[in-house]
Amino acid sequence: MAKIELQDLQFAYPGKSFNLAVKQQVFADPMTAIVGQNGAGKSTIFKLLTGLLQPDTGIIKVDGHDLADFKPVDRLKTIGITFQNPDDQLFNATVKREVEWSLSQVNDDRDANSQQADKVLANVGLAEKAAENPYDLSLSERKLLTIATVLAIDPEIYLFDEPMISLDSPSKLMLTQIFHELVADGHQVITITHDMDWVAAEFGAVCVMEHGRIQFTGTPRALFGDRGLVERVGLLPPKVMELTSMLGDSRVYLSPEDYYKQNLGK
Amino acid sequence: MDEDKRITLDNLSVRYRGAEDAQLKNVSATASIGQIVGIIGNSHTGKSTLCRVLAGVIPNIISAEITGSCEVLGHSPVHEWPNFNSLTGVVLQNPAGQLSGLADTVADEMAFDLINQGISEDVINKRVANVAAQMGLTDQLVQTPESLSGGQMQRLAIATAIVTQPTILIMDDPTSEMDPLGRQQFFHWLANVQSTTVFIVSSEIDDLSEIADRIWVMDDGQLVEQGTPQAVFNYLDADRQIPKPTAYQLAAGMNWHLSNGALPVTPSELKEAYDGKN
Repeated sequence: MAKIELQDLQFAYPGKSFNLAVKQQVFADPMTAIVGQNGAGKSTIFKLLTGLLQPDTGIIKVDGHDLADFKPVDRLKTIGITFQNPDDQLFNATVKREVEWSLSQVNDDRDANSQQADKVLANVGLAEKAAENPYDLSLSERKLLTIATVLAIDPEIYLFDEPMISLDSPSKLMLTQIFHELVADGHQVITITHDMDWVAAEFGAVCVMEHGRIQFTGTPRALFGDRGLVERVGLLPPKVMELTSMLGDSRVYLSPEDYYKQNLGK
Repeated sequence: MDEDKRITLDNLSVRYRGAEDAQLKNVSATASIGQIVGIIGNSHTGKSTLCRVLAGVIPNIISAEITGSCEVLGHSPVHEWPNFNSLTGVVLQNPAGQLSGLADTVADEMAFDLINQGISEDVINKRVANVAAQMGLTDQLVQTPESLSGGQMQRLAIATAIVTQPTILIMDDPTSEMDPLGRQQFFHWLANVQSTTVFIVSSEIDDLSEIADRIWVMDDGQLVEQGTPQAVFNYLDADRQIPKPTAYQLAAGMNWHLSNGALPVTPSELKEAYDGKN
């Protein structure tokens, strides 16, 4: 699995008070969630990782190599991203051409790209929409399409900015399954999300941002066990913990299933 | 209850121009004034179309064939839109799409409709300050709307909808981009809204179960269940693929039932079931 390392990273938007500063950060877990309040700097980190923004100072390394030295095509094969708003990245006339365009950035073989597009669209449940205009799709389908454009390239590292927004329950289950399959295939998945239930139940690591700083990196169980930190950075525990706390139980539970496991038969 | 104090959908069907299938199919439902109606369902089940009819956007802005009737507090959004429109506040799925695009600041955006209504500057300033405080946007009032984050943009869309003090509020997935605290604050605010009838589409099943008086479940354009949160989630077929509230899941796994035999769907009901078992 490719490893991302941030060293002495600093970035400020011109004319704004927000500034991002990360002394040292290694994304070592195959499945990491980045969490924090609106405006904490989560999307800024992603834009720096994909080269959409350039750091004022500092280095981003992938497997020890400075990302600034990567050729654009190598960067695309290394790190793929889906944005929070699908309309920021869809512009082709049909759903299939959207995926093929994405593939054309790294591969000139049109036949292979066509076949790969069909395969990926089937994987995200959009095969029947291949000939439609992306803007005729629902918001959740446009979201799945942006995910398909990245899955098609199959980069080493996947960055997803709020992938679950507007997805219904079956689509969320499907996407979670895709994430686990990516990890099983040796990829790294880093996801920005506000869904603490999902973080608790599915992720190996969680990284907490506040005011442009990374305040915590560790397991969900360690994060949600530190109630002071959770409150201080403006997060909430998983819903199961809100409920069990109300019942007088202060232990950490990552899901209802985790609660049954720890309490049934006692 | 007087007919003009109710919301009544009677065999309502909607088909967009050029579409083969209807998006809403013979929907019949009732709710009462002042109630919060939570609308749930998976994608393409008709939730957003229902919101558009309730807001009068269909057929007044988006053309569609409508059969059956929709009466809200004695008005028809289909046939009496000018009157109806003055009563409603609407928050669409894409908040950026409903902003005027003409305002330089968040405060101006909030004041936009009020200025158009000819309301005095003093009243506008008070209402904008009040609504900004309710939505947690006081610090952002002098910023440009475009500079807001996704969650802040959603709160601005809600602020522009409620600043006119509507008696009917229609919101389509208004918290999707909010952070956890923002979402929690929104639902606390909504639970305390007075004298307003609210229709809200949301996938936040736990929050809806706590605040909604009625839950309407949509599937394939049909309204397949309606009732209190407790009744709906206790009888909702698993084939609908809609998650149950966390309180329900916890209680189901631990076999904690309420005295009426139902499984709890809210924190207070969970506490009651837990205390009864232990």
